[in-house]
Amino acid sequence: MKKITSIVLCSMFASLLNAQQDSTTTAAPKDGQNQFLIMGNAQALFFADKDNVQFTDVDFKPIFLWKLNDRLFVESEVEIETGEGSPDLGLEYANMCYKLNPYMIFHAGRFLPKFGAYRGRMAEGFLNRFATDPAGWGDGGIGAMNEVGVGLQGGIQVGLCKMNYDLYLSNGPQLLPGSMDAPDEAGQFEYEAYIDNNKNKAIGGRVGFLPFPNSCMEIGYSFQQAAKTGEAGSAYENVGVFMQAVDMDYFHKISQLKSIIRINGEWKQLTAGDATYYLPDSLATPYTFKNESSCYYGEVTLRPAFLENKILSRFEVGGRYSQFTRPTDALWGGSDLHRTEVSLDYWMNWNSLIKLTWMRQDDAPDGYYAQIVFGF
Amino acid sequence: MKNKILFFITGCVFALIISGTGCVTPEVIADKPGPQLWGENCSRCHNAPGPGEFNNAHWDVIGMHMKVRAGLTDAEVKKIIDYLKLANNQ
Repeated sequence: MKKITSIVLCSMFASLLNAQQDSTTTAAPKDGQNQFLIMGNAQALFFADKDNVQFTDVDFKPIFLWKLNDRLFVESEVEIETGEGSPDLGLEYANMCYKLNPYMIFHAGRFLPKFGAYRGRMAEGFLNRFATDPAGWGDGGIGAMNEVGVGLQGGIQVGLCKMNYDLYLSNGPQLLPGSMDAPDEAGQFEYEAYIDNNKNKAIGGRVGFLPFPNSCMEIGYSFQQAAKTGEAGSAYENVGVFMQAVDMDYFHKISQLKSIIRINGEWKQLTAGDATYYLPDSLATPYTFKNESSCYYGEVTLRPAFLENKILSRFEVGGRYSQFTRPTDALWGGSDLHRTEVSLDYWMNWNSLIKLTWMRQDDAPDGYYAQIVFGF
Repeated sequence: MKNKILFFITGCVFALIISGTGCVTPEVIADKPGPQLWGENCSRCHNAPGPGEFNNAHWDVIGMHMKVRAGLTDAEVKKIIDYLKLANNQ
C-alpha cells in the first residue's frame, strides 16, 4: 500500500514539474487551445395502439465536448427523460480521454462500452431509423449499457483494411435477486449502476474489422465477463456472467435506384451462473432456472438520397425483425419474443428527422409510433 | 480477479506494442483525399454533415469525438477535419 502511495505521489510530483515546465516554455496559441462544444438531440414520441393514444416520452440529451489540447478530451452526455412518468435525470457518460499515440486512447470515467454496435452507437436518436428498439435491446434486455472504469481504444489501418478496438476494466453488471416489489427482476441484470456492489471487476471489449478499403462494412465481436455480480456478502455474490455479441453494418450506393441501402444486424448472448431465487408468495418458495438468453436483429433501410426530386430524396424506408430468447422458467422469461417493425422516415436535416413506425410483437397489440428527433 | 487484471494488462501491453510499431499504409489508402474519407466514414453511421454545419473550432472538437465514438484512425480524422475546415472557409 505504501508503495502504491509513493508511486502516486511521485507521479503527481512529476506531473506538477512537467506542468510547470510547460507553462514556462510553451506560448499559448492566440485563440486558446481549450475548445468547447454542446451537441446532442431532443426527441418526442407519440404512441397509439388499440388501448392507448398518447404523446409519451420526451427526451433532452445534451452532449458536452471539451478538447483541452491535442491529447486531452472530455465527452459527457446528460439525459433528461420523461418515459417513467416524471423527469428523470441521468448521466449517460462522462468520459475522460488521453491520446497516448495516434493508435491508442486511454479513457476513464463513466462510458458507453462498445458491446455490439447498437447500444452506444446505432441506437442514437438520429442513427436509429426506427422509433423503437429491437426485442432484447430495451429494458430487461441483454448487454452492457454504461460502465464505470478505465479502458484503451483506438483505430488502426491494417493494409487495405481497418481495425478498431476497445478493451476495458469496469465495475460490471449487477445481478438483481428480485424483491417483493419487483419479483420479476430475479436473474436479470442492472447495466447502468453508478457504484459497484462488490470488489470484483468486469473485463470487456470489442474488436471491429472493416475488410473493405472504402469502409462500407464493419464486423465486430464483443465480450464481457464478470466472475461476481451479486451484492457483496450476499448469497448471490459469486454468480458470474459472460456476455458476447457479433455485429455487422454494411452500406452501399445503388446507382440504378439512386439510393443508399444499409443492412445491419447484431446477435447477443448471455450466460449467468446458477442461483436460487424466491417466489413472492407467503412461503417464499425457492426456485431456480438456467439463466441463458440471447437475441438478434436484422434490418434493411433504403434512402433514395440521389433523386433529383428534393422531397422524395428525403424519405427513407426500413424494415427490422428481431427475436429475444429468454429463460423459460424465469418469471420474466417464457417463450421467444418476436418483433417486426416497419418505418417510414423523413429527413429534415442531416441529423433531424420524423419517424413513423409500425410494430408487431407476440404479446402485444400492434403499435403505431411517431417520433420527432432534432439533432443539434 | 488477479487473472482478470493480468489479462487486462497483457491486452494493454499487446495493444501498446501494436500501436508503437504501427502498420504500413498502402499508397491507395494514404492518397485518399479528405472529401472521400468524409463520405466513406461519416456514412458508416449517419448522414454526412456539410462543412457549414459547424465552425472550424467546432470541427476540431467533433473530430476528437468521432475518433472516440467510431474508432476512426488519426490520419482519417486529420484529413476529414482539414477538408471540412477548408471548405468552410470558401
